[in-house]
Amino acid sequence: MTTLAHFQLLASMLFAVGLFGAVTRRNAIVVLLSIEIMFNAANLSLVAFWRYGPHPEQLSGVVFAIFGITIAAAEAAVGLALVIVIYRYYKSIEVDKMRSLKG
Amino acid sequence: MDVTFIILSLITVVGAIWAVTLRNLIHGVLSLVLFFFGVAGFFFYLNADFVGWVQILVYVGAVAILAIFAIMLTHNLTAKDEPGFFSLRWLTGMAIAAAVGAVLWFAIKNNAAMLQTAPAGVTSSVADIGRKMMTDWVVPFEVVSLLLTAAMIGAIVIAMEQISHRK
Amino acid sequence: MYNFFDQLILTLGAWVVGLVVACGNGVSKFCCGQPLSEAAAHNVAAGTEIVLICVTIYGVFALCFGLATWLERKMLARIQNRYGPNRVGPFGLFQFVADGVKMLTKEDIVPARADKLVHFLAPAVVLAPALLMFAFLPFGRNMAPTNLDTAVIAFFAVGAGSEMALFMAGWGSRNKYSILGAMRAVAQMISYEIPLVLAAVPVVMVVGSLSTSQIVAAQGADGFLDMSRWFVWTPWGFAGFILFLVAATAESNRCPFDLPEGESELVAGFHVEYSGFKFALFFMAEYIGMMAMAGLGVTLFLGGWHGPKLLPSWMWFMGKGFLIVCWLIWLRGTLPRLRVDQLMAFAWKAMLPFALFNIFTTAVWFHLPKATLLQSAVAWLVTAALVAAAYWVVSRFVCRRAGALRVYHYAS
Repeated sequence: MTTLAHFQLLASMLFAVGLFGAVTRRNAIVVLLSIEIMFNAANLSLVAFWRYGPHPEQLSGVVFAIFGITIAAAEAAVGLALVIVIYRYYKSIEVDKMRSLKG
Repeated sequence: MDVTFIILSLITVVGAIWAVTLRNLIHGVLSLVLFFFGVAGFFFYLNADFVGWVQILVYVGAVAILAIFAIMLTHNLTAKDEPGFFSLRWLTGMAIAAAVGAVLWFAIKNNAAMLQTAPAGVTSSVADIGRKMMTDWVVPFEVVSLLLTAAMIGAIVIAMEQISHRK
Repeated sequence: MYNFFDQLILTLGAWVVGLVVACGNGVSKFCCGQPLSEAAAHNVAAGTEIVLICVTIYGVFALCFGLATWLERKMLARIQNRYGPNRVGPFGLFQFVADGVKMLTKEDIVPARADKLVHFLAPAVVLAPALLMFAFLPFGRNMAPTNLDTAVIAFFAVGAGSEMALFMAGWGSRNKYSILGAMRAVAQMISYEIPLVLAAVPVVMVVGSLSTSQIVAAQGADGFLDMSRWFVWTPWGFAGFILFLVAATAESNRCPFDLPEGESELVAGFHVEYSGFKFALFFMAEYIGMMAMAGLGVTLFLGGWHGPKLLPSWMWFMGKGFLIVCWLIWLRGTLPRLRVDQLMAFAWKAMLPFALFNIFTTAVWFHLPKATLLQSAVAWLVTAALVAAAYWVVSRFVCRRAGALRVYHYAS
């Protein structure tokens, strides 16, 4: 039988994979997508807590996950627009090359 | 553990690892789509149907497509000068990820509440979610809708900057 | 008599399930000396039912796909004053069989520099969402394959998967025409998905459910005239239906929105590099997706399988679906292709505001009293006036320049 621990271990593993991508990769798009992986791992954890929790009729985990998805979508839209602008300015989207705060 | 869980976790973990390690960015995005489908499968498995469909609609239908447009618009199909597998950068990244994962693992392992099995009859109907969103969660709901509008306008303004300079 | 024909397919299905369970019992007696246990018999029956549903849906819609290609060629030929296919079978009816045999026997060419895996996967991935969409439509009385309470959003979510598949096809081919076609397809589909979903929102609002079965049930009326409560007869439903049809045309990449595969500019768009049976799969996905969209339009606005009790319910569903398909073919034979800027301007400047205002109109309709005939008439007239005003404002002020001619500066 699948217990809550299985889901939480899986979610923490996915979170670690996303974190690895976010700190390792140079390409800004991959960094953003790694952050999406971390968001997804958090959503999975929330929904698992809702499913196994003492008050499933409150639906808090589900509602949280929906808010999480919404915010992740907004983050992706703004982030990728920024990536495009950064590419126009630096002609590169490597995060190492973005060193100045002045536009 | 049952077969569904094992298959779905294989899909998600393999998809996530490919997505962060593959050099070819398009392949990375496609494996990310695999990962998104796997997570949606987990949502179905946990009786959260609505979240699962929203996951597919938003992530596969919008976020992955946005990423592909960003890749296409930045002429950056492959990350050529990415550091190698045993470079200092990768080892550091792996160490950080392993440390965070180990802390989480430790916290989960030492918690007796984590060992419970799923109670039966837990469902999330769309009507119930809607009622919750319009009663208990109405303020966050409105804030999120404002945030989405702001993000949409912001993304358009940011990406259109160059055109306004030209005029 | 009517009930017999209405439930004919279900009766046949129950008979086949019974037959399979009886055969299972026989095999079990022969091998183990005792009949199947009750649980095993139940599992066998459930499994057989699932297989039967899949086989029936896919068989029927594969046949419909063949008939639709024939119908399209015949109708286009009629519009263009030609004969169309007339060699194979009566009126060329079996042309699609000959086409299928031709496609199967053709050589499968993969470009040398193609991304082999993506190129190979794309045709299968493009067909899967198109077929999956049928899982959420009720085809007749008691004939819904699944009964999800999230069916409408599930339909759109599954449809969103096809955008990625088209991109895979275009990118995997490593050809500039196919990548251009794929990017156009993705941009167009993601733009028109918004008016498509927003056109479906009023129906969901009024019914109060995302379940297609309940949406169909809300449009049924007793008696001989079983079409009085179709949503298309209300002003907001009519506006929504028109919006839905236009967005569905764009979503299934059909003329006048066929820029992704515009033959005169992009050869064949995202499927340039596909030949043989892989091309046939793309072709099939396009038609089956089109029929699924038509099926959703029927379910949301045209009362689903409801209709006067002259024909069985599933015949009403198929008939209305084919009517929409015929309308799409007619459109293809009549209208020229749009330009990319016109396409985007139309989606964002005309359809999106109109769809949003249509949701407001529906809210007004929802709150107006409709107890007596007079009150219903007043509600109808008020919402009709709102829809007309919205159309006037949108066409006059919001997208005034969308249809304007563009000035080309050659060699400037």
